[in-house]
Amino acid sequence: MFIEQLVNGLTVGAVYALVALGYTMVYGVMRLINFAHGDFFMLGSYLGFTLLVSTFVGSALPLWAALIVTVIVSAMGIAVLGVLVERAAYRPLRRSNRLTAVVSAMGVSIFLQNAAMLIWGPRYRAYPPWAVPDLRWEIGAVHIGFMQVLILVVSILLMAGLYLFVQRTTAGAAIRATAIDHDTARLMGIDVDQIIRLIFVIGPGLGAVAGVLLGLYYRQIHFTVGWSYGLKAFTAAILGGIGNIPGAMVGGLLLGILEMLGAGYISAAWKDVFVFLILILLLIFRPTGLLGERVAEKV
Amino acid sequence: MALLRLGPGPAPGRHRSVSGASGLGLVGRYSGWAVGAVAIAAMVFPMVASDYWIDVAVFWGIYVLLGLSLNIIVGEVGLFDMGHMAFFAIGSYTTAILSGHFGISLWLLLPLSGVVAGLAGYVLARPIIHLRGDYLLIVTIGLNEMIRISLLNNPWGLTGGPNGIIMLDQFRVFGLVIQKPMHFYYLVWACVAASMFALVRLQRSRIGRAWNCIREDEVAAEAMGIDVRSAKLLAFTLGAGLAGATGTIFAAKLVVISPESFTFMESVILFCIVVLGGMGSIPGVVLGSAAMLVLPEILRNFAQYRMLFFGAAMALMMIFRPQGLWPSKRWTTKLQEGESE
Amino acid sequence: MRGCRSRLCLVFLVMVLGLGLGLGTLAFAAKEPIRIGLQAPITGQWAYEGEMALNCVQIVADEINAKGGVLGRPIEIVPGDDQCSPKQSALVAQRMLSEKVVAVIGTYGSSVNEPSATIYERAGLLNIAYGSTAEQLTAHGWKFFFRTCFRDDRQGAFFAQLVNDTLKLKRVAILHDNTTFAKGLAEAARRSLEQAKKAEIVFYDAVTPGERDFTPVLSRMQATKPEVVYYTGYYPEAGLIIRQMRDLGSKAVFVGGNAAINAEFMSIAGLEIAKGALMTQEPMPTDLRYAEAKPFLDEYIRRHKAPPSSPWPVYAADALKVIAAAIEATKSTDSKVLADYIRHKMKDLPGITGPISFDDAGDREGAIYLAYEVTADGKFKPYQP
Repeated sequence: MFIEQLVNGLTVGAVYALVALGYTMVYGVMRLINFAHGDFFMLGSYLGFTLLVSTFVGSALPLWAALIVTVIVSAMGIAVLGVLVERAAYRPLRRSNRLTAVVSAMGVSIFLQNAAMLIWGPRYRAYPPWAVPDLRWEIGAVHIGFMQVLILVVSILLMAGLYLFVQRTTAGAAIRATAIDHDTARLMGIDVDQIIRLIFVIGPGLGAVAGVLLGLYYRQIHFTVGWSYGLKAFTAAILGGIGNIPGAMVGGLLLGILEMLGAGYISAAWKDVFVFLILILLLIFRPTGLLGERVAEKV
Repeated sequence: MALLRLGPGPAPGRHRSVSGASGLGLVGRYSGWAVGAVAIAAMVFPMVASDYWIDVAVFWGIYVLLGLSLNIIVGEVGLFDMGHMAFFAIGSYTTAILSGHFGISLWLLLPLSGVVAGLAGYVLARPIIHLRGDYLLIVTIGLNEMIRISLLNNPWGLTGGPNGIIMLDQFRVFGLVIQKPMHFYYLVWACVAASMFALVRLQRSRIGRAWNCIREDEVAAEAMGIDVRSAKLLAFTLGAGLAGATGTIFAAKLVVISPESFTFMESVILFCIVVLGGMGSIPGVVLGSAAMLVLPEILRNFAQYRMLFFGAAMALMMIFRPQGLWPSKRWTTKLQEGESE
Repeated sequence: MRGCRSRLCLVFLVMVLGLGLGLGTLAFAAKEPIRIGLQAPITGQWAYEGEMALNCVQIVADEINAKGGVLGRPIEIVPGDDQCSPKQSALVAQRMLSEKVVAVIGTYGSSVNEPSATIYERAGLLNIAYGSTAEQLTAHGWKFFFRTCFRDDRQGAFFAQLVNDTLKLKRVAILHDNTTFAKGLAEAARRSLEQAKKAEIVFYDAVTPGERDFTPVLSRMQATKPEVVYYTGYYPEAGLIIRQMRDLGSKAVFVGGNAAINAEFMSIAGLEIAKGALMTQEPMPTDLRYAEAKPFLDEYIRRHKAPPSSPWPVYAADALKVIAAAIEATKSTDSKVLADYIRHKMKDLPGITGPISFDDAGDREGAIYLAYEVTADGKFKPYQP
């Protein structure tokens, strides 16, 4: 049972980590808590749903191609939305007090949530059952599903890719420089606006991928899911040390495991109390999160 | 110094001096007749308005009280508290439980709930007060969720779980039971007036200046001999206490107290009230809560579109008035400096 | 620049205000209708329930109006959005009073109903809840509160009976989701089982609604080896729970409460897994065999392409029928007269959910519960052992 809980925790944690990356990157570069990020995630899963049930993608293509197209198109669509939101709601506030942008983000979040409700209706939507092969393996007493493996593999690949991108490429170096200081970065010839736009392509894009994966895994989506997962992912980002990319990954996985263990060994009803208690204790003793200080460069 | 580097470019005027912080408050800035006119309008309002709008004004007043209490923490000291509903919940439940089990008068419970919530604020904030900006933010969110879930799980059968507790008692003044919207209106806004008066005094006192000084530059404040930790804790305790006392009025008004009223979302709304109104600005809180509470009521005719418009309006208000609807004088100077960078 | 911006902001606010007021006055244009309020969650998490309730009530109103209205006056529905939040509920209630409605239908959530019903009671306004099943609501001795839905405890007792007499199983696990409704039902089921002393409750816990992964709590439940699992919460979680339970290798009989019964339960769980699951509940809209039900459902499907996906909205439609019948019979729109008529004189009014009469507390009399079974082709059919 313990191993099973661990696997479940890792699966949920991987989704948290993907969403947390969006929070942490935006925070790292703009010092903004992007409350609308959870809603990018939610819209991603709705967009994926629409694509999958559409005749164009869902029925014309073979399953594996349909899934790949769905993930990529959703990620691109949400990335475009992310850039638009940044342009409309955050850029005008870049030179204001940083809490101002938090309120604006909150407004955007309420707007997106209700837009989703109006577009897709207030009901729960279910992903088509044929979209996921119902493969399951039993290793000893441990049950592992196909989607769990898929989520873990995809998210680890994406996270590794992102890490290499930020660490090894010129664009990545520009992101890191911007994160340290906008003005100095500008002096070095970096187009800060361009970098911020890039951040708003990557963050919401990853969020959308997580959204589609979640929809495939649980099959059920709702327009309020952005809030609950957004809060958890934000917690994960803080747990790992906000502004820090490996921190978000570690934080997400850890949070997923903590949640599963809390629910499995304590009580499902008290699970979140347990999770937040651990978070608070951890922050009391490590006030900048798990990886907050050890890694000098922050993104 | 790294501790203080909350933001790079975007946090403007980090190095602003606090020398310009002369006593600019509500009354000093506006001559007596303006305040008088507002007061008279407020007195007359319930005689001409319908019960519905009076009730909207009652909840507006409750949110002004909550906004004022959070303004002490977020606006004056610059501590990011996004779980303020926790203290409001503690106050409300204290009232509901003590009134239900022991039949204590609500007039007594009003200060008592404030004290209980204030104590809770002190005890809970003590170990976390050293956390910086966003880490404090998530911890307060965590406290909010922990308290809400605990209430939901009905510990020792005290809180009634998701059903909540029904209030049987009401405020009484010489035999008059306060339960009509108009009665509540006067009760709430009298509390608002009293709190505003006290808070304006506090803002101009030594403590108020110490708080503002900490908000602007913590290290400088420490160097000037301010006990930063105690000053922060004091702000937290006072803010929690005022929120707790407001909880008594809320419990009496709503008749039933259940965990649904104290969600994280509500805490975020409070936070927005303070920022939208203008950080550290007392009249700003009044306007901010009007925007967050009265605006959705005005939008009611849009049925399912109303929250869509509300979200857009929130973002627009911030874009067009980034310094807040009624910025405190001390903030404005600073922002303009920031903009001329 | 700054001045210009703030002026823009002001212009915007004035526009929003103006638009709001303008639309508001439009609503007053119709000629002396009988205004009936519908308090429901129209935005927020439970928005789909509010939307369906509004649809249902509108159909009945249109039907009555097509026949010439009540006392020759048309019925007008005044919707009020309470977002399933107690604060909003109090505001909506006050607004209903200002709107001078004759009676109010609603609302959906039990703990949200408490503040509004208190306000209606003080003002003496007839209000009929359609989804608030918590027992405590009718314990206040309110004179103007009624409900067309049935109380939780009756369903709990029905479940106990199902386990003890029909299924004859001994080890019971009960899960709820900490919402007022689900917890109330779970408690009622627990009480009834404990009184009967035939079966043992081996597991009792709550999950968090909106979550997606329940494996931890289910693994723990699995360790207690239950023979039957009763989930009293809503279908989105119910579908996930049964699937994750089966994935863990559980063979226990799954029984859902009346919030779990929904066509989407099958698509979330997957048909192969959902098959054989049982549900305790009042008949679904599509299973209502009363004379009033068929034409109503046909009309609903004609307008909205699908039948209501939960049992509750239909009770809102019945609440309107009750109000209209009472006004017709008493030739009055006074709440006192209406409430008195509904409590004492209304006997077996033909409703969509069956004959309607009320007891002295304001609860609906009788109770129709059925055990449903999910068939191999994905339908709910009444269970026959």
